[in-house]
Amino acid sequence: MNNMSFGVSMSNDFKVGVETTDNRGFTPEETAKRCVSKIINVSKTAPPEIRDQALAYRDEVEKVIAVYMKQAIQSDRTTVYNAIKDAGQLKLAEYIRKM
Amino acid sequence: MAFNGNFLCTSFKVELMKGVHNFTAASNQFKLALYDNSATFTAATTAYTSTNEISGTNYTAKGNFLTSVTPVASGTTALADFADEVFSTVTISAVRGALIFNEAATGDPTVCVLDFGADKAASSGDFTIVFPTADASNAIIRIA
Repeated sequence: MNNMSFGVSMSNDFKVGVETTDNRGFTPEETAKRCVSKIINVSKTAPPEIRDQALAYRDEVEKVIAVYMKQAIQSDRTTVYNAIKDAGQLKLAEYIRKM
Repeated sequence: MAFNGNFLCTSFKVELMKGVHNFTAASNQFKLALYDNSATFTAATTAYTSTNEISGTNYTAKGNFLTSVTPVASGTTALADFADEVFSTVTISAVRGALIFNEAATGDPTVCVLDFGADKAASSGDFTIVFPTADASNAIIRIA
């Protein structure tokens, strides 16, 4: 009878990044950059012509994401504006609307 | 003492075989807590501790819940991932690393130790943990 064993490995070779801001949140552009890197990963070993095309595509996707993030933020401000206005704080609501 | 690299905890590997951890559960399973460089975590770390955990404005002890991504296969490698986690509107400093642990399991057993490589800080801002690309070469948890 043969002895059978299976090699299974789990690696410590991983690394997280940390991104921080001071006195503000992340901009849509900064967030879009993180977002697109989750969606599109371009291999360093890809053939140059494919890699260049993929990187160009990733740049375009990043721009589109940033645009829609700005729209989402603006739309959320409208929601916040109305909530604060309905609470009777018109001056504060106007301040937020103009941000 | 200090952080000395990234480690997948040995106890986590054992607990995987015991079915302690479930990466497909909907929510409120895994948390990420932040620590200063006095923490002494290694692969032998087995559970969450409040010792040397950082404190600051809008940071709560035990940190934030993570959103785990359903494990998938990439070739012959199985991998699990988490969504990037934002600690919002915090004022924290001297943050050198983190522990990921399973709050839903008895004793808050650890998953891994994260070494940020340098002290990080945010002042009235956002502090974001960016997880590596979820592929067979980079994902935070891989079984090959």
